[in-house]
Amino acid sequence: MLRFALALVLVGVAVLAPAAELKPWEGGATPPLAVEDLKGKPHDLSEYKGKVVLVNFWATWCEPCRAEMPSIDRLRNALKGEPFEVLAVNMAEPLSRIEKFSATLPLGFALLRDRDGSVSKAWKAKLLPASYLIGRDGRIHYVAYGELDWSSDAVRARVTELLQ
Amino acid sequence: MNRRNFLKSTTAAAVAQALPLHGFAAEGWRTFETVTRVEVKDSFGVARAWVPLPLEMDTSWQKAVGNSWSGNAKSAEVKHDGKYGISMLYAEWSDKEMNPVIEVTSRFMTRDRATDFSRPDTSIDLSAADRQFFTAPTELIPTDGIVKKMALDITKGAKGDVEKSRAIYEWIVDNTFRDPKTKGCGVGDVKSLIESGNLGGKCADLNALYVGLSRSIGIPARDVYGVRVAPSNYGYKSLGAGTPNVSKAQHCRAEFFAQGHGWVAVDPADVRKVVLEEPPGNLPIKDEKVVAARKRLFGSWEMNWLAYNMGHDVKLPNATKAPKLPYLMYINAEADGELRDQMEPDSVRYTITAREITV
Repeated sequence: MLRFALALVLVGVAVLAPAAELKPWEGGATPPLAVEDLKGKPHDLSEYKGKVVLVNFWATWCEPCRAEMPSIDRLRNALKGEPFEVLAVNMAEPLSRIEKFSATLPLGFALLRDRDGSVSKAWKAKLLPASYLIGRDGRIHYVAYGELDWSSDAVRARVTELLQ
Repeated sequence: MNRRNFLKSTTAAAVAQALPLHGFAAEGWRTFETVTRVEVKDSFGVARAWVPLPLEMDTSWQKAVGNSWSGNAKSAEVKHDGKYGISMLYAEWSDKEMNPVIEVTSRFMTRDRATDFSRPDTSIDLSAADRQFFTAPTELIPTDGIVKKMALDITKGAKGDVEKSRAIYEWIVDNTFRDPKTKGCGVGDVKSLIESGNLGGKCADLNALYVGLSRSIGIPARDVYGVRVAPSNYGYKSLGAGTPNVSKAQHCRAEFFAQGHGWVAVDPADVRKVVLEEPPGNLPIKDEKVVAARKRLFGSWEMNWLAYNMGHDVKLPNATKAPKLPYLMYINAEADGELRDQMEPDSVRYTITAREITV
């Protein structure tokens, strides 16, 4: 009986493997993105032309966002020396909250602030994490809504393709 | 990193103490979070689920912040109905998944709304297209025949849209009743309701009646479907969520459009809820709590409630053989091509929890 109960518990626990995938972008022109990092330094997507950029909208209350961030860091490390950048835009949370998060999960890329949520709305980032892969031409090529393993071979192949 | 465990959602709740858009708090905005957990029981074949999301359109009384999901779905994405802008999370599981489960977290802000009828703004009007859209019939809300005749009788002698709307509101409060035996929030079959002569039901019936009567005489009106997420701050036990578990707290309201005032909040169904359910129950219509609610619910809403959408005749995207639903306020799911009864919690097991995010 105990074994049966344990099995039931395990069925309830051993689930939840988010399954977002990179899909070709069909949403039109790249919206503007001009935000600041935690120290107030401005970051404008237009200044990254010529590089492949991962624009990732996230929030500390979004568990899948937090879960995928280390894999973004792994991808970034794997592409060291390549023209690849990550812009991780927090959706409208207080600075203190983001700083606290940053202290608990140190990451190699800058965390940026969409103070009032207007940038996220312009990008139609309704389902978090919302990630957009921008090509060297400045256009959005791929999008993923939901958690993704950014260090997987499949994702890395997409990024490498854009780096060509 | 082992993130594939169910504990992560509870961890998320513990960690997430943020107050998004905290600058808005000074303007009366409150931030809430709902977590909807859906399990499709006894699933054979491909399973699908449709979870209503907070209204996407920003209003002066509600703003969407964002949504996220976790679970064992093969895929999940935001879908729309294409007509009313209904926003829903559509999830799909492979036929090998015997225990489909998904958790959807939504954050949004609300603040109380009220119309000051003494201060019209002549610049506020509705476009001809919107006026036509919000006076059109739906499958369950006809605007001709018996509905129109009843509306004309009720509004006889009333002048202007506000006066006519108030006449309809008062008539519904005086002539309908909340029927506790109605399944869920009711269906909103206005013609059947009138023809039966039995004007009992719940919010989806009584407020749909309000919308139908209004539309039939050319006043733009719409149902707004949602769920209560917090207790009432006005002392009404019956008009708030008593616990964080709001799985059965679905509630729909109504609006009409008045030139010079914009969309005006009304909720005659909630007046009848106060009559029936406010302790000690079965209050007389002249009870001071009923009188106060009746006065307040023409022109204002307490926003301890989340609005999902304003849609009718909803066809669920990717559904195998789903009929049109009168509205989307509940969680829907199908397994092996069969739509589970949205008002039957045993076939689609779900819980919705709500909490306010404070500093």
